[in-house]
Amino acid sequence: MNLFRSEEHARRWIQYDETMASSLKSVAEWATIFSNPIFRERGRSDYLSWTRSDAGVAAYAALRASLPQPQV
Amino acid sequence: MADLELMDRGYGAIMRRIVTTAEAPHFTELAAELDIEIAEARDLIHDLVGVTPGWTHPGTDYLASFPPFNLQPTQYRVTIDGEQRWYAQCGFEAMAIRWLVPGQEVRIDAPCLCCGEPISVTLHDEDLIVIDPPEAVGYTASQVGGDAASRPFR
Repeated sequence: MNLFRSEEHARRWIQYDETMASSLKSVAEWATIFSNPIFRERGRSDYLSWTRSDAGVAAYAALRASLPQPQV
Repeated sequence: MADLELMDRGYGAIMRRIVTTAEAPHFTELAAELDIEIAEARDLIHDLVGVTPGWTHPGTDYLASFPPFNLQPTQYRVTIDGEQRWYAQCGFEAMAIRWLVPGQEVRIDAPCLCCGEPISVTLHDEDLIVIDPPEAVGYTASQVGGDAASRPFR
């Protein structure tokens, strides 16, 4: 889960794996994914309890749906 | 596993300490803060890293990673309101640090893993203020959060 100066740089990385090409996204797109409530709510005093609430479960589901999957 | 109320208190205590000092508490300190037995605090640390998902240094009870932060230095240097003391667990989690410091500017500096040249990202609450270079990207060769079968938010 790394940052690169451009898509070309990422593709030249020694550990680049084409099956995860769907994870190549702009910094702005990753910033949006990491704006999910799962990340926003970490400062709550009841954070872990909250992750098990309806709101937390819904946030997890939305996060899962937004994450790139390997292409086999 | 500790009960959820204690997990909440432990999570909050560790996160507050890292946000404030860039250091994680030792389990003896955590025990004192939470008013629990030392052995219970040591177990609590391992319970928490299993759900966050973070990790302890292998073979020890020392917190090494507690997302979005890393206690062991990484290439993701984090500056909060002008003070560089923190490290991010990864390039993606770095962008979530802003939610723990509302109203403060968060700057991420990292070398590109391909060429070693610098990348800088500055965020402030909802705003993505600087991306340098503008064409910078994020990429992972593994699934975010680990394999679907083992990630805490499966």
